[in-house]
Amino acid sequence: MYLWLAFVALFGLLRPDTYLSSVTLQLIFSEGAVTCLLALAFLVPLATGAYDLSVGALMSVSVAIGVWLQLHSSVPPLVGALAGIAACTAFGAISGFVVVRLKVNSFIATLGMSQVLLAAVLLASGNKQLVADYPDSWSNLGLEKAAGIPLVDVYLLVVALVLWYVLEHTRIGRYLFATGGNAEAARLSGVRTDRMVWGALAASGAISGLAGVIYGMRVGTFDQSVGPGYLFPAVAAVFLGASQLSQRPNVWGTLIAYFALAFGIQGLALTSSSAAVWSQPLFQGVALIVAVAMVSMPAIRRRRAGARAS
Amino acid sequence: MTGDGLLRIGRLTKRFDATLALDDVDLDVRAGEVHALVGHNGSGKSTLIKVLAGFHTPDPASEVSVDGEPLAFGSAAASRAAGLRFVHQDLGLVHSLSTVENLALGVGFDTGFGGRIRWASERREARRRLHELGYEIDPRRPVAELAAAERTGVAIARALRDADRARLLVVDEPTAMLPRHEVAVLFDAIRRVRERGVGVLYVSHRLDEVFSIAARVTVLRDGRRVGTFAVDELDEPRLVALMTGGASLAVREDGSVEELRDGLLVADGLRGTVLDGVSFSAAGGEILGVAGLSGSGREELLPLLFGARERRGGAVRVEGATLPAGLPTAAIAAGMALVPGDRHAAGAVTSLSVRENLVLTDLRRHATRLGAMRRAAERAEARRWIEALDVRPVDPDAPFMSLSGGNQQKVVLAKWLRVRPRVLLLDEPTQGVDVQAKATIHRLAREAASGGAAVVIASSDDAELCECCDRVLVLRDGRVAGELPSERIGAHELARLQLASATS
Repeated sequence: MYLWLAFVALFGLLRPDTYLSSVTLQLIFSEGAVTCLLALAFLVPLATGAYDLSVGALMSVSVAIGVWLQLHSSVPPLVGALAGIAACTAFGAISGFVVVRLKVNSFIATLGMSQVLLAAVLLASGNKQLVADYPDSWSNLGLEKAAGIPLVDVYLLVVALVLWYVLEHTRIGRYLFATGGNAEAARLSGVRTDRMVWGALAASGAISGLAGVIYGMRVGTFDQSVGPGYLFPAVAAVFLGASQLSQRPNVWGTLIAYFALAFGIQGLALTSSSAAVWSQPLFQGVALIVAVAMVSMPAIRRRRAGARAS
Repeated sequence: MTGDGLLRIGRLTKRFDATLALDDVDLDVRAGEVHALVGHNGSGKSTLIKVLAGFHTPDPASEVSVDGEPLAFGSAAASRAAGLRFVHQDLGLVHSLSTVENLALGVGFDTGFGGRIRWASERREARRRLHELGYEIDPRRPVAELAAAERTGVAIARALRDADRARLLVVDEPTAMLPRHEVAVLFDAIRRVRERGVGVLYVSHRLDEVFSIAARVTVLRDGRRVGTFAVDELDEPRLVALMTGGASLAVREDGSVEELRDGLLVADGLRGTVLDGVSFSAAGGEILGVAGLSGSGREELLPLLFGARERRGGAVRVEGATLPAGLPTAAIAAGMALVPGDRHAAGAVTSLSVRENLVLTDLRRHATRLGAMRRAAERAEARRWIEALDVRPVDPDAPFMSLSGGNQQKVVLAKWLRVRPRVLLLDEPTQGVDVQAKATIHRLAREAASGGAAVVIASSDDAELCECCDRVLVLRDGRVAGELPSERIGAHELARLQLASATS
């Protein structure tokens, strides 16, 4: 949170003309929606203690399905979008099956799944760029603004609100966090921990699919490099966000973390011309390490205190 | 101190604050002798071993010598240099590594040029050493794949890897986790060690083992040496009497399992890893205690009943309805509740708050029809329990981990009491808990029973069982060794039933 304000102040002073312009704000907020959605997709299974490293690949599957259907059939884009989301949900559920029933570590299962999905989209696209010819009415859903706010951010906000409500204010949310905190204790308290992990991975698939749909609206092009590049910023935002607000993965912390980083990156890019290239990975890498160190520090201190007490 | 002892312990005394753990103990072990050290919980056996291992420094005037050389106290290296070797109860093996790698732990490998491990010669050597102990184990096999007795063999082989310098092998409760049929394999290995002229100090509370492997036995009770006896001079009832300090009462123990009344809770031929056909029933309104030494199956009884672990056979019935195996949700639906022995691993989600832990057993109560949680109602209920059980601090939103052990345990108990279980299972309910919390927990258990629930308390604390139970079931070697009705529950009786061997 402070980081964000610090970036705004610092770069606002360095480049008052460009940095604080509405163009910059628009750019950051409209570009960020897709990554933020992926971050939220990563967040849901993380609450149960499962990693979903396939969110990027799932997103590219969704993009590919939408674009491919647009090119090879006459179905309206909305149907293609729904098909993409449905397929991603199904793939998420398959990951869930592998984790829960085949007892494969989620890290491994979803890493494997991401490669399988990558192979699938490469096969379907023939390793070529596919350019869809979406009608303007569809593309505008991803590019237009309503009352000065990019529509994509409205979608993001809706998803974030729903997830926040489910995670923090419903039974399901409580079960998810109990599973993530201590699966065995949760199971012995009557929580169906298997279903929680399974459902969380399916939900992660659905949200990743939606991210793909929105990407499709905005860009209209499928390229096999689309999805995986989004994974790291999303993961970094979730972990950095977990150090904000409450000491566990949470929706608003994730969004704040993402935009704080985005403002920093954008600021560097405007300040130095070469920084546009290297600032992003640098920022995200450093931020992730610092964030996780910050989160584990109270735990370490507690453990030391506990060791002294006993 | 007399005798031609290899290990000679004289006037060994160790005081911890107010308690005298060892009080003027003499002991000698001869070369090539298996000497058993027996005693009930808290008799001072483990303190004595820890002194030998260099973990504890005994009080001044204590003497220990090996081969006539005085042992320097408080140093593991000195104990090792003197030729003392230890196989502890948990063996200290790394399960994911192979047998040969485990044998090299701590000493390193025989290496060649560039630090390359000479695997072929290492393996040959490992195979030879295991063979000498009577084991035929492929040294490439990971320890995780070995049978329990084979693992003990690997631990012994490792302890004796510099066989020419090892003078005394101390084996601590080696059979506690061993299935009965594997004990013979271990005994064979120990006899081979003895034949090399190494002294063996065999620590156990299984009396049948003492009679089958040891030549002499030293009995400890409350930190004092009761005496050292040739095994031939003793019989089991006499040894039990020496350990418990009671006169050798001629107590009838028919061991016959009484006809199963159709109680609220019925276990019928329950089998697990150690448990081998345990049947009993518990009626509503009573507190049933479960006693047993470590390895008797006491630890696994309650998890098996609840379905936290999957049973291998038998049936569990609540009010006549059979529960499916390994399904806690079904047990909960049938009105069962388990307060596990390990609070942090299984009792609570330590990353959540007190309130979140407390209400987890039934969230519906505070949820709207759409599944939204009403936090104010949650807090109000949590506060009621916190006050009723005198949990400190009086803060529903305190992190669970910030509470003391006793308060944590009260919260874990409360989360089950709030669903009014008909069968309440308490596993080591007062371990690591302060005196006041202990009294509270016992009172709540009694109240639950008075309210019509069947309460089962499994505990390693005999005093606890004597204090709160209407009836105590004693487990030994995975079976029911006996049952004590309320008028006969007493520390001597409990200890006697737990210790006596199955053959008597």
